[in-house]
Amino acid sequence: MIRPVVLALFALAMAEACRDSHAEVPPRAAQAPRAVSAQDLAGRFVSHGEHIQPGMMKPFAGLTLVNPHEGDAKAVETGGKLFISYNCIDCHGADGSGAMGPSLADGRWHFGGQPAAVFESIYQGRPEGMPAWGSLISEDQVWLLVSYVRSLEKNKDVTTENFGGKTVERTGH
Amino acid sequence: MCRATLALAVLIVAGCSRDSAPPAAANGSPARTVAGTRIAAPRTGPAGEWNVPAGDNSSSRYSELDQVTTANAKNLHAAWTFSTGVLRGHEGQPLVIGNTMYVVTPYPNVSYALDLTTEGQPLKWKVRPENAQTAVGLACCDVVNRGAAYANGKIFYNLLDGHTVAVDAATGKLLWRTQMGNLAKGETMTMAPLVVKGKVIVGSSGGEMGVRGWIAAIDVVSGKEVWRAYNIGPDADIKVGPRFKPFYGKADTSANQGATSWPANTWQQGGATVWGWLSYDPALNLVYHGTSNPGPWNGKQRPGDNKWSAAIIARDADTGEMIWAFQPTPHDVWDYDAVNENILVDLPIAGTTRKALVHFDRNGFAYTMDRATGEVILAKPFVPMNWSTGVDLVTGRPTLNAEKVPFQGKKVKFICPSLEGGKNQQPAAFSPATGLFYVPTNNLCMDFEAREVSYIPGTPYIGGNAPEVAGPGGYRGEFIAWDATTGRKVWGIKEPYPVWGGALATKGDVVFYGTLDGWFKAADARTGAVLWKFKVGSGVVGNPIAYLGPDGKQYIAVYAGIGGDMGLLIAGDVAANLPYDVRERGSTLPDIARWTSWGGMLFVFSL
Repeated sequence: MIRPVVLALFALAMAEACRDSHAEVPPRAAQAPRAVSAQDLAGRFVSHGEHIQPGMMKPFAGLTLVNPHEGDAKAVETGGKLFISYNCIDCHGADGSGAMGPSLADGRWHFGGQPAAVFESIYQGRPEGMPAWGSLISEDQVWLLVSYVRSLEKNKDVTTENFGGKTVERTGH
Repeated sequence: MCRATLALAVLIVAGCSRDSAPPAAANGSPARTVAGTRIAAPRTGPAGEWNVPAGDNSSSRYSELDQVTTANAKNLHAAWTFSTGVLRGHEGQPLVIGNTMYVVTPYPNVSYALDLTTEGQPLKWKVRPENAQTAVGLACCDVVNRGAAYANGKIFYNLLDGHTVAVDAATGKLLWRTQMGNLAKGETMTMAPLVVKGKVIVGSSGGEMGVRGWIAAIDVVSGKEVWRAYNIGPDADIKVGPRFKPFYGKADTSANQGATSWPANTWQQGGATVWGWLSYDPALNLVYHGTSNPGPWNGKQRPGDNKWSAAIIARDADTGEMIWAFQPTPHDVWDYDAVNENILVDLPIAGTTRKALVHFDRNGFAYTMDRATGEVILAKPFVPMNWSTGVDLVTGRPTLNAEKVPFQGKKVKFICPSLEGGKNQQPAAFSPATGLFYVPTNNLCMDFEAREVSYIPGTPYIGGNAPEVAGPGGYRGEFIAWDATTGRKVWGIKEPYPVWGGALATKGDVVFYGTLDGWFKAADARTGAVLWKFKVGSGVVGNPIAYLGPDGKQYIAVYAGIGGDMGLLIAGDVAANLPYDVRERGSTLPDIARWTSWGGMLFVFSL
């Protein structure tokens, strides 16, 4: 049920892969949905290392989603601006540490934290109210947001909170 | 000053008879009522029930039960408990009708009927209505529900995803389920309905999502909408007609002020939702409600008074027509919603009995108003404040402190009260025995930074950031007794954290409230002395009730379950059930996680 939807969105994503990287592009027009046939799907399954492979098989050989801006500090900065422009800030908090929506800065991920998984969360949305931004903004902007979101988690994970002292000692792993 | 007021109050206490006989409480003592005070519409129905969310249609949260007294409150103990099976913020309160208690949880809005006649309080039924999961991420301030209403053998409540449901109180059968809000636009529903003359009155949430707020009436039998009034926009939509007579601004009779007090069509995303409490005066046939903040918070995007956002509104219960409206905070740029409860009582003021409406606004002023006309009789600060120097009784408008008015491009520091308000959803109570109001308050201040924001349907429409700190004195909350005839605080109990749970007043002169760090307390209604406290399983953001059990004993019930705006957004990390969401510790409420964590529980106490 889910897969054809994911793949349809992904197919659209691939069709629009090349866009101006760093501009704050205005929202694009909605696109008409189209049916995806079994033939369309052949070899296009998106591989996620985080997912269980039934039968302990190796990850299904297929496409991988790669962030074209991986390692680009400018992309993180531009993504941070988009994070405000698209009102992400009001759900996930000014520093991404959570508000209406979950924290993005805790090093913990509900639907996977690898770039491909974060891309999918933004692109296709998630069931508890995360909008499907793939219908409104370019794939490139989604990747810029991925760059920014993934930059938030550095050294933020907390395993232990010790309340014994005057201040709470927080230790990550 | 406190002592003098108290002494006066005690002097006035006399054996005045009531207009109507109170429900017979076991071990009842003679009625004692401060002369000239009267709850406008006392609770009806069998003695010892709690059959309206706020205790009665006047929102007094007063119980005639008096077995628990200032002398014996120290002997209170937990009688029984019940886990709701749901975490998150348990605002609201149970109902008790006959020998059954009705509980509604936060999302997914499960309802339970508990049989009070049988040891162990087994369930009579449990209802899990269909309720869209998407709603969870569209609710601004946790996935709360403020409780159910009851009439004619039916329980009515709202679902977070914008539906109102009716359930057969005897069987749990779902009788109807009516879509009232449009979730795709960000409309959710969290408030407790009020049933008036065969109609269930409900309102929308979503003032942070660019929605256009409304209040509506549904037929209790058919589930069909009878009337719907928006709070902003053209006269026809907001039900302004020839009967509309606001006390202030009479000279301005121009049409469509609900639209013309906004630039262009910005009212279409202007907020003014109805997520707070409703009251009803049967003599005037008026329903009273507040409206939320205007959207977005950034005032630069909506110059004008932004009518009727951040307003108190009186409407005809049969038609929804607006009869009067008043904005405590015109052109609200502080997120000072006016949704707090309107308590309808007659009060002796300056030698005459006034048909009063008492409202403790987010903006920090306590308004004593004439509920027939919307006149402000007096308005005094009930918490530390610096954004305004007072309310002009000629115009009804606050006098602004120009240094504390947020505007785009500047971070305005230390505005008091904060956007959480001097008081928020936590409802106050009134006791005719003392003539005093019991008010759970916040003492927080904020730095406000407004910024440009685009309206993107389905996302927040806020345009501001407002980190908070403790207000003057360093405490963050106080439970106070307030004399609304003079606008003075009589006593207060300071709390380390905002008092985000509601108040209960009882005829035994014992008042009850819970705290964010998980204490449930009983205090002397006349002196504020804490008589008893009990550490419940989670922080309290719910409202205590009193009822008479089948065994003839008085019980006090309250939800524990930290959450809501203060408990979820501001408290930071008090949860432990989400492996993917480990948040920073909130700096506004330091160490709250040391004292409490998430958990939805009903606690019931007795002697």
